[in-house]
Amino acid sequence: MKNNLLGKRYLVRIFWILILGIIWESIALSGRFSPLIFPSVQNVIESLFKSIISGEIIGETLYSLNLICKSLFIGIIIAMVLSILSVRSKVFEGLVETLIAIAHPLPGIALLPLIILWLGTGSSAIVFIIVHSVVWPMVLNLSTGFKSIPNIYKQLGDNYELGLFEIIRHILIPASFPYFLAGVKIGWARAWRALISAEMVFGAAGGIGGLGWFIFKKRVFMDTAGIYSGLIVIVLIGILVEDMLFNKLEKATVKKWGMSI
Amino acid sequence: MSMILEIKDLSKYFIAENEKLLVLDNINMTVNKGEILCILGPSGCGKSTLLNQIAGFDKPDIGYIKLNKTIISKPELNRIMVFQDLNQLFPWKNVLHNVVFPLKANKIGNSKLERLKKAEKYLSMVKLEDFHNYYPHQLSGGMKQRAAIARALAINPEILLMDEPFGSLDIQIRTSLQKMVIDIWQKTNITVIFVTHDIQEAITLSHRIVVMDKNPGRIKNIINNTLPRPRNSIDSVFSEMYKKVYNLLEE
Amino acid sequence: MRKKTSIKNIGIILTILFIGLFIISSCNNKDTNETKGYKISIAEQYGLAYAPLQIMKENKIMEKNLPDVEVNWEQLGNTAAIREAMLADKLDVGFMAIPPFLIGWDKGMEWKMASGLSQSPIGLVTYKEDIKTIKDFTKNDRIALPQPGSVQHILLSMACEREFSDAKTLDDLLVTMKHPDGMNALLGRKDITAHFTSPPYIFKELEQDGMHEILSGSEAMGRDFTFIVGVTTNKFHDDNPVVYDAFIKSLHDAIEFIHNNPEESAEILADQYKLPKEEVLEYITWEGMEYNSNIEGIYEFTDFMVRNGYISKKFDDIDDIIWEDVEYEK
Repeated sequence: MKNNLLGKRYLVRIFWILILGIIWESIALSGRFSPLIFPSVQNVIESLFKSIISGEIIGETLYSLNLICKSLFIGIIIAMVLSILSVRSKVFEGLVETLIAIAHPLPGIALLPLIILWLGTGSSAIVFIIVHSVVWPMVLNLSTGFKSIPNIYKQLGDNYELGLFEIIRHILIPASFPYFLAGVKIGWARAWRALISAEMVFGAAGGIGGLGWFIFKKRVFMDTAGIYSGLIVIVLIGILVEDMLFNKLEKATVKKWGMSI
Repeated sequence: MSMILEIKDLSKYFIAENEKLLVLDNINMTVNKGEILCILGPSGCGKSTLLNQIAGFDKPDIGYIKLNKTIISKPELNRIMVFQDLNQLFPWKNVLHNVVFPLKANKIGNSKLERLKKAEKYLSMVKLEDFHNYYPHQLSGGMKQRAAIARALAINPEILLMDEPFGSLDIQIRTSLQKMVIDIWQKTNITVIFVTHDIQEAITLSHRIVVMDKNPGRIKNIINNTLPRPRNSIDSVFSEMYKKVYNLLEE
Repeated sequence: MRKKTSIKNIGIILTILFIGLFIISSCNNKDTNETKGYKISIAEQYGLAYAPLQIMKENKIMEKNLPDVEVNWEQLGNTAAIREAMLADKLDVGFMAIPPFLIGWDKGMEWKMASGLSQSPIGLVTYKEDIKTIKDFTKNDRIALPQPGSVQHILLSMACEREFSDAKTLDDLLVTMKHPDGMNALLGRKDITAHFTSPPYIFKELEQDGMHEILSGSEAMGRDFTFIVGVTTNKFHDDNPVVYDAFIKSLHDAIEFIHNNPEESAEILADQYKLPKEEVLEYITWEGMEYNSNIEGIYEFTDFMVRNGYISKKFDDIDDIIWEDVEYEK
């Protein structure tokens, strides 16, 4: 039954993609717009296949995914440390709140000139931008999560004489998990955007620079179909991560536990 | 009947807006082994505060509480509390593992199998044998409280502390759960301290009723309840007892 | 029953989509039809190499040559944006280096070069003492330049082709940066060890201790060449011959004005660039900085770019890529 519904949802999606594709193709074929603006679906798909076969787009995708995983990991660790500190100590709470107030509204890209001065232009600069865009919303979510843990769990922990390890592993982590997951979802979305825009700015002309760089290269060489094939990959990864990773994880945890926030 | 718990000259203050508020005033009472003792009083009489002192979540300002001649200073496995809160189960563990987890954490039982057997036994006692794999959010309020009771019993505490555990449930479910508490008591002969503001509940369950007054919280009287079991609220003896307790509360 | 409604819904949505598309396309039509009066949209760019544009704008030269004309100066960030705006018919005239023009032409842009604008002292600057030529770069060095396919990139590749017989030798070291970012990164003396740039950034960089130029544009190419050219769309050229002629005349007038009145030009430009007048005067009279409508280097750029796959074909006839009466060096 559930599978049926899911299958149906995908069918509906594929149906709409087909419809939009047909509309797209008919506009492209009408010749109203230059193929440099509106390449035909066939051209886009051809260009996508070419870059898959040559390995170019695969290399760029792996590069991007590697960077984002690394940065998300660093971001999550920093966010955890900051939010635990801010929950445990009033002094830190003030500091962390001030930091969030200052840094949260700053788009990472706006920091670019400074980041180039501090870190140069390598992948560490991109990692910095992603970490910056991930940490603050994560800290907000995690500290809300820690603060929202009901007091009754503490009493239960005391009453059942649980050790620190059990309290952390079996109470604090699962109790704040819905907020953690929400934070990771926001973090991922922000990181993905930050990554693509940062890659468009950096990147080695001959080397690999990620999907953002792939699109940028296609742009400067006026390969419009190539731009669209890069966009398709970005969309596909977005859908995969949302549908496969996050939805599965939610089903296995917060939805199963009835703890969705 | 031997005494298990002794409360001596206990007073408790709360500090609110720089004012010292006397919540519990010179409480003296004892609890006998194997009895169901109900603490009855209007809201704000400090009955839950008193239970928290017994549990060890909070400490008295004056006086002491002794369990088997030892002063209570912190929560321990020999007194397990069942709360009114319907969210006292861990939502991320199913019913069975909510019961098993404290056993495992305290290395009660020699093997995983033994712990599972123990959990199953107490889940059957609260009639949840068919719900082992359910997660708390899939249970009704009454089932949640039954699971919480099973979890407490599995630890095998000397005293079961119950803080208005059925206060959020509707009347039919409350009645059936009261029956269940008596049932469990008959099977295990466990000592129960049961806090409630419901006169009928107190009379149905208790051997003795501690009637409390508010502002400040103090003991008005301790009533021996020797009505024969099973007790039925439409019996005339029950109504008489009800009147007696009611008048005492109203005084 | 349910099926019926869903089909109906799809019908409604499709209708909306088609109406939307129809409106969009008809809007486009209107846009192109309404240009009855004299009108021109020019991409304005800043930088010393574009100085005649600022003179043309400030002295209203275009308006003097064609009194009824409505001149629309558009500010756009970079060459790719200009190219895209011209493709979308939002711009009639853009200024850029020859390689990006050729890339667009190769991909099917309908445009041609209308005039040269300037030659400029561009070059590759580094702070590392032990780097004397491009042969001294190691794999740990990084070279900042505007973007792949830019004139800086093509020039560096030309030098590589000559030195290493492989135009892409240094490609792995390249980092794309706008001129100001590239300058900051170079002055930070970190991982960016060299910067291929143009005035005024190159002047500022060379003022610093230890900064030195290891390759100039003309060394890379093996001759002098036009740095910036003016490009117009076929549509503009064909539909508005009067405006086109006035534009070319005005551009040449502006170039002439700088030649004849360097002091006055420096004053106008100083205002625009927020720089001291003396500094501007020094820059616009710098050796190698020349304002000139003659286009040089077309063949060298084209041959090199075809040879190395940056573009797919060479023009059959020079008239495929330049308008009539454009001076160029054969």
